[in-house]
Amino acid sequence: MKVKLWGTRGSVPSPGPETIRYGGNTSCVGVTLSDGSLLALDAGTGIRNLGLALPDEPSRLHILLTHLHLDHIQGLVFFAPCFRPQTEIVIWGPASPEASLRDRIARYISAPLSPVEVRELPCDVSFRHTPETEWEIGPARIRAASVSHRGPTLGYRIDDGEDSLAYIPDHEPALGADLDSLEEEWISGFGLARDASLLIHDGQYADAEYPDHLGWGHSSLSHALSFARRTGAGRTVLFHHDPLHSDDQLDQLGAEARERWAAAGGDPKAIELAVEGAELEARALAPSATSAG
Amino acid sequence: MPTTSQKPLELILARNLMSALSTPAFLVDEGGLLVFYNEAAGLLLGKPWEELGTVGAEEWGSLFGPFDESGEPIPYDELPLVVAVRDDRPAHANFEIRSIDGAHHRVEVSAFPIQTAHGSRGAIAVFWPAATNGAGS
Repeated sequence: MKVKLWGTRGSVPSPGPETIRYGGNTSCVGVTLSDGSLLALDAGTGIRNLGLALPDEPSRLHILLTHLHLDHIQGLVFFAPCFRPQTEIVIWGPASPEASLRDRIARYISAPLSPVEVRELPCDVSFRHTPETEWEIGPARIRAASVSHRGPTLGYRIDDGEDSLAYIPDHEPALGADLDSLEEEWISGFGLARDASLLIHDGQYADAEYPDHLGWGHSSLSHALSFARRTGAGRTVLFHHDPLHSDDQLDQLGAEARERWAAAGGDPKAIELAVEGAELEARALAPSATSAG
Repeated sequence: MPTTSQKPLELILARNLMSALSTPAFLVDEGGLLVFYNEAAGLLLGKPWEELGTVGAEEWGSLFGPFDESGEPIPYDELPLVVAVRDDRPAHANFEIRSIDGAHHRVEVSAFPIQTAHGSRGAIAVFWPAATNGAGS
């Protein structure tokens, strides 16, 4: 599986000279499966550039939404394939007792927030609640599960042959829990991330910032490292950067993450911060080669 | 893709909340199996969850009861937690439980199902010291 990070920022787009290296676009990850088909994980503003990079030809695309906070859907109405009649788009997302996925997304893609309505989109778009059980898209097996965040929120696991990707961009697994001592089955998101080749995980806050954001639905660096260590992910990318974090601050956070991972016995190359535009491989590795602890 | 015994998020969050409460609280999964109780419940029972672990209905009954006003064991199927899971409705009762050291405690118990977008995931029960010896319902 090939992975490209089109948007790595959390909460709100944060363009500017201080964020130019890690990027200012909000959450979107493109995943190219072994048969060449494409999945988009979330539709933050990063999906705009993904859309511009796609050829203008008949295609079928799947967009897997973790949740409907604006930083994960804002790019939908700027996604060029939405305006191509020959494109079929399937949007997956969490169920809610309140309203259908389509109706909840239509609150954003409607007046006065949007110049177009869902029904006016030229593409053939459909909306599906993620099933409780694994399903297939092309050669990939997909699983979605609720994870600890504000409101109905999913994490995803994508298995394609031996390769696996876990995507949990908004996640506070340590809320009311001690990740270092809790049994695995009681850790939010554990089943999705266990032994994943590549884990893309929330790493929004430095440890010193977390106490002021307790319950906001995101992880501190310590929590992200503990989660990665407990799940045995082969390679971990810390994602959903705080919009207030400059490139220099993220450099420091990344250096601290690598030092702490190495101090715990892991390969420091197995921990990195997400960089907008980066292309990664989700390739199966021997977990013992990279995991800490 | 690994198979997993991962607990549903709703149970995870319920456990996390219960862990922070000083009210005795119990958690069962959608099959009615007791999967957690908190420190306050452990004090009431005389045995912390970490030492007891998951127990079946028969063992639970032999350890803790509960008992009705005449001292007769109340069948597991009639416990509020079990009713909440099985019938998908809240349930309340007033009964006596026996802690590990043999002491009896009269408590009022309220249980309610944990509803999710995908149906019921289990139930929570909270225990309160009983104000009177009134009959359960």
